[in-house]
Amino acid sequence: MTLAEESERIVRARAAAPVRRPAPRTGGVVRRVVSRYWTIAVLLVGWQLWASLNGYNRIVVPQPGEVVADVVGNSGAYLPDLLATLGMSAAGLLTGMAAGVALAVAVWTSPLVSGMTTPIALIMRSVPVVAMIPVLARVFGYGWQTVLVITTIVSFFPAFVFVAARLRDAPRSTSDVFAVLGASRVTVLRRLLLPHAVPGLLVAFRLTAPSAVLAAMLAEYLMGGRGLGVLFAQSVSFYQPERAWGTALVATVVSVACFVGARAVERRGLARMT
Amino acid sequence: MSALLARVPRRTVLPAVAGIVLLVVAADAIGRLGLAGAAWPTVTDVVDYLTSPTAQTLLGRALAATGTAAAIGFVAGGLGALALALLGALLPAAGPGLDRLAAVVHAVPLIALAPLLVTTVGREGTSTVIAALAAGFAVFVAATSALASTARAGRDVFAVLGASRLSTVLRLQLPAGLPTIVDGLTLAAPAAVLGAVIGEWFGARRGLGVLLVSAMQNVQIPLLWSAALSAAALSLAAYVLLVALRGWVTRRFT
Repeated sequence: MTLAEESERIVRARAAAPVRRPAPRTGGVVRRVVSRYWTIAVLLVGWQLWASLNGYNRIVVPQPGEVVADVVGNSGAYLPDLLATLGMSAAGLLTGMAAGVALAVAVWTSPLVSGMTTPIALIMRSVPVVAMIPVLARVFGYGWQTVLVITTIVSFFPAFVFVAARLRDAPRSTSDVFAVLGASRVTVLRRLLLPHAVPGLLVAFRLTAPSAVLAAMLAEYLMGGRGLGVLFAQSVSFYQPERAWGTALVATVVSVACFVGARAVERRGLARMT
Repeated sequence: MSALLARVPRRTVLPAVAGIVLLVVAADAIGRLGLAGAAWPTVTDVVDYLTSPTAQTLLGRALAATGTAAAIGFVAGGLGALALALLGALLPAAGPGLDRLAAVVHAVPLIALAPLLVTTVGREGTSTVIAALAAGFAVFVAATSALASTARAGRDVFAVLGASRLSTVLRLQLPAGLPTIVDGLTLAAPAAVLGAVIGEWFGARRGLGVLLVSAMQNVQIPLLWSAALSAAALSLAAYVLLVALRGWVTRRFT
């Protein structure tokens, strides 16, 4: 097994979504909702109880209601930063995934490129990219361009690995048809391999979308500028606990929404492509 | 490393070595020519700094702090996740809720957890808890999938012999799923290191994360890069260790 296959196997294992369990047969919607979301409800009730039973004042632990009221009532304070973070994440996703596909195609065309990129790919897998934000911030400067670089790097690797894997394992019989008909390498790539690689790209998208948002927020938190990470840092230092916890709530909802959205895109894409 | 390298065919070694050499040479050239500005040091700068005694004490102490947080987080997160996954296998009614909880906890951005953790476990404990959550998610996903994918025939034998659910889980599903669980552990180890480093950004007193942020703010370029390299090396070491363990488990249990 080569290192490329090794790292790809690992990433694939990471991609394995939680197992789908059979839904309980009896009962209707209510029962299904309860069986899926009871843990979330327990979390919320626990937060409320923890805050009120310990008698924490709102500076230490604001109550769920206060936090939600701040998010709903002052949504204007959140919106510009939310849009800034989302914009950076989306731009980084786009450039990172495009670069990943481009390198995957380059690896497919030349065994030499493939051999030389293998150690780089392994290093990128094992280097905690998000922990390198301080280094990147120094190299690229404090500002939006660094946030973009970081979201790009985070989005690059999964796209590269999954697309490269799909380019390698095209269905034998269809490849034979292309070979018999004397298709050129460009035609094979365009008409067979790239369409075949789309599901891989979709998996990469599902994996990367939440991490891109997370990386953008961490970078903003450390460097300042604009975005949810900055809003969080500021509200912590100005003792606005509702705002700080509200930012955490908004960030969580955005991240979960990104995951759910990306999964929906993946399912629709797979239904179309296969 | 030998466990990893033993499997690499000769043919791919040369280009791979060429790739690494090229990477180091390119990094050094960028530093020498100043292509990326003053923040990109030459490789020799970093090596010089790394060999100085002050740097070694500083980095050694930080490595120990981060390594401890990551290790405790890895063990606690791994055991907790395994316990939750076993609970999900024993009580199927609880399963979907636990899956959903894991997905949501994983999707919660780490900085969103910071106010909660700093209030509950304090600035020092935050990095351990974030390491545990990061490692725990990888183990939970691997363990639920491992416990759910036991061979049909084995389950039928246990059912026919009237085995209880507990003994089916402990004597059939768990041993059969062990290789997959260890796969999850190989992912969890670097995740724990990353979680520990990020957790230290929220006001810890020592650790690689602290060094990274303070070196960034005070423009101590060689220290910044040395801390980054140490974090990467720690993560790689954790990964290689677990890959070796996985090799042993795969040989023993399949």
